[in-house]
Amino acid sequence: MSDASPFSPAAVSIRTAFSDNTDPRRAAAELASALAGPELGFVLFFCSADYPLSALGEALERAFAPVPLAGCTTAGEITPAGYGRGCIVAVGFDRGDFAIACARIADLEAFALPQAQRLVDGLLADCRRQAPPEDARPFALTLLDGLSSSEEQVLATLEAALGGIPSFGGSAGDDNRLSHTHVYAEGGFHDASAVVVMVTSRRPFEVFTTHHLRPRREKLVVTAVDRERRRVLELNAAPAAEEYARLVGRPVEALNAEVFARHPLAVRIGEAHYVRSIQRVDADGGLRFYCAVEKGIVLTAMQSAPMLEQLAGVLDGLERRLGAPALILGCDCFLRRLELEALGRVDAASRLLADARVVGFNTYGEQHQGMHINQTFTGVAIGSRG
Amino acid sequence: MDLGAEPPAFDPASEQERALAEENARLRRICGALIERVESAGMAGGAPYGAFEHAVLLAEQVRERTDSLHRTLEALSEANARLEEARAEAEAANHSKTRFLAAVSHDLLQPLNAARLFTSALEDQALPGEATRLVGHIGRSLKDVEALLGTLVDISRLDAGVLTPDVAAFPVAELLDVLAEEYRQMAAARGLAFRYVPSSAVVSSDLALLARVVRNFLTNAVRYTKRGRLLLGCRRRPDGLEILVADTGPGIDEAHQEAIFLEFRRAVTRPEEADRGLGLGLAIVDRIADMLDHPLGLVSRLGHGALFSIRVPYGRRREMPPAAEPTPGADRLAGARVWVLDDDPAILDGMAALLEGWGCRVRCASTPAALEALSRRERADLLLVDYHLAPGDPDGLCVADRLCRAHPGLGVVLITANHDGDLKQWARERGYDCLFKPVKPLRLRVLIANRLQAGGGQACN
Repeated sequence: MSDASPFSPAAVSIRTAFSDNTDPRRAAAELASALAGPELGFVLFFCSADYPLSALGEALERAFAPVPLAGCTTAGEITPAGYGRGCIVAVGFDRGDFAIACARIADLEAFALPQAQRLVDGLLADCRRQAPPEDARPFALTLLDGLSSSEEQVLATLEAALGGIPSFGGSAGDDNRLSHTHVYAEGGFHDASAVVVMVTSRRPFEVFTTHHLRPRREKLVVTAVDRERRRVLELNAAPAAEEYARLVGRPVEALNAEVFARHPLAVRIGEAHYVRSIQRVDADGGLRFYCAVEKGIVLTAMQSAPMLEQLAGVLDGLERRLGAPALILGCDCFLRRLELEALGRVDAASRLLADARVVGFNTYGEQHQGMHINQTFTGVAIGSRG
Repeated sequence: MDLGAEPPAFDPASEQERALAEENARLRRICGALIERVESAGMAGGAPYGAFEHAVLLAEQVRERTDSLHRTLEALSEANARLEEARAEAEAANHSKTRFLAAVSHDLLQPLNAARLFTSALEDQALPGEATRLVGHIGRSLKDVEALLGTLVDISRLDAGVLTPDVAAFPVAELLDVLAEEYRQMAAARGLAFRYVPSSAVVSSDLALLARVVRNFLTNAVRYTKRGRLLLGCRRRPDGLEILVADTGPGIDEAHQEAIFLEFRRAVTRPEEADRGLGLGLAIVDRIADMLDHPLGLVSRLGHGALFSIRVPYGRRREMPPAAEPTPGADRLAGARVWVLDDDPAILDGMAALLEGWGCRVRCASTPAALEALSRRERADLLLVDYHLAPGDPDGLCVADRLCRAHPGLGVVLITANHDGDLKQWARERGYDCLFKPVKPLRLRVLIANRLQAGGGQACN
């Protein structure tokens, strides 16, 4: 099954397709036949971690060579028809409208400012070599191994090198198994890596992030942490899982991803709240997070506002400013999808996303302007006008 | 209270006291964690949460700066919009002023044209002594009015930017010979010696505009020099021909020289001197020189006269057959058959009187249809036609084209009050002569004589 969707005559330089064929070669062939064109310059894809990854990588390379590819594994896909699972979704960008360059950060621990500066300079030079139009503007997409625990430092370093270039991205997922997440670049899948994709275009675009969570009154102070493993051992000087279970009114044994999705915690910085999502309960009664934690930070209990209504408002705003978008690349936290599944609103969400021309994936964390954030919908909207 | 110290040993006596002691211990630990956090905040170092917090603060700063930049840009673009509005208003006002001035000037030129023609015809009549003198006065007064009006029109046209130079190569003598002749007489009338040094140089300029500049120099020289002599001549410079007018007048001291040049930049500086002194005249000179990109020069010392100059680039021109002698004899005009087409009966009458005075055989028509009817029966050597005919009628160029097809060899002189450069160009392309209103009788006479001598040689298309 494939779906080539040249949405409008103005938008044919961006094509999207997806395949739920579980055979890597057939899936790759379906995508290639939908995206192929003489001007095809770059392919971005998001795939289920269920695929035999090395076979899929080889099949994609064969199907698209010499066009470069980048991508990652997911905790669910957003296809042109809405939420998918166990499939692969891809976007093809034409050379005429887009100059795109891509690089991998192979050693996340050693990624310091000099490397970041070289990487960004190289990407921009590569885009310029492809002779993008004079008035093209860049944005950067980052795809990170979602279980590497080094997002914060890598992003802060990269952000310093990017300067004023807008950036966003997502952490790769593995269908909520929390064991192996991968990013794809340089012809293969890699773990403990990050991919940076620099996109320059004359088209109008807007990088955005949004969430639907509102603060409640309750506060929890982190009194003991295991910093390296992003574990909170104590909240309010009590075992973390116990204290959190008290807050949400459930026994500790009942804590699971769905509860974490419905009852998030956030840090407040200035006027804004940034959700710090809980990954799981450890055997010792600590809570493992998807992001960095620190002793002495104050967590605010959050509650959901209607998610789809809030998202529809944001999408309307984008359309008002950019005109009907040709494409929205979306990094959608998998906890949001869990919440929608629990509320039975997945179909409504699929319709909303498909109508807004969103493709992307469910993440283990999102990135926006150098910030590692959780439980948000973050992405870029690309307008149709040149 | 020592927050850092262990709480004092306490032996709870009741369940409530035990709970309070436990809460106290937890609160102390929470307090300790917060203290640690507060005290390590802002510390440089690789703590992952610190990196996140730093990124948030940076993003917030960037957002704030972007916001303030946007506000500044908005304020700027608003100010720009207001400026643009004001500019458009000013332009509209200026445009309507220019249009009004042009319309008034045009309407004034029509009757003035007629009056000049009548006066000229009257001068050719044998009149009793006193009447000849009075007619002469009327003629000179009309000439003054005409000059004043011309200046006004020129200023308005220069200001409106509608006057575009019509640059061509011509021998400078073509211009200076005529001016020399004219001003030699004026100088003689005031008891001044006039010396003219002719030049064979060919220059590239707009003849009419350049004439205005040199004429203005000469007029000033004649006006301000009480005794002594005037010089009109040229100097060959490497980068152009310098046309200069020198006098032995009172001169201008150095401080005042600057003031004069400043006045070049303004329009009417002293209303009482409008077209009578340096104010308006030199303002035009300066504007014309600017437009033609011809540098002006002034050398003067108080009590030792003045030397005004304008530098004109050299031009190249094919050798032309020697021109006809400048003042044609009346015999050449005698018997010439001339058609005159103008929708203004006063002009027709005036023109007929003038031309008949020169011995021409004149047929007048006020509509193209009348003239065409006439042309089917008769022939003519020359057609004088007004460009602007009555509304609904074709313009003078069309009429001339049509008549030329039927009468090859017919000479055409197009007369118009419209100083449009295009019109002049169109006329020239067709081999027609072009005269601007008010028509100067001498100029017309020279033109007709040349036309007739050429034997209608210039083909009409």
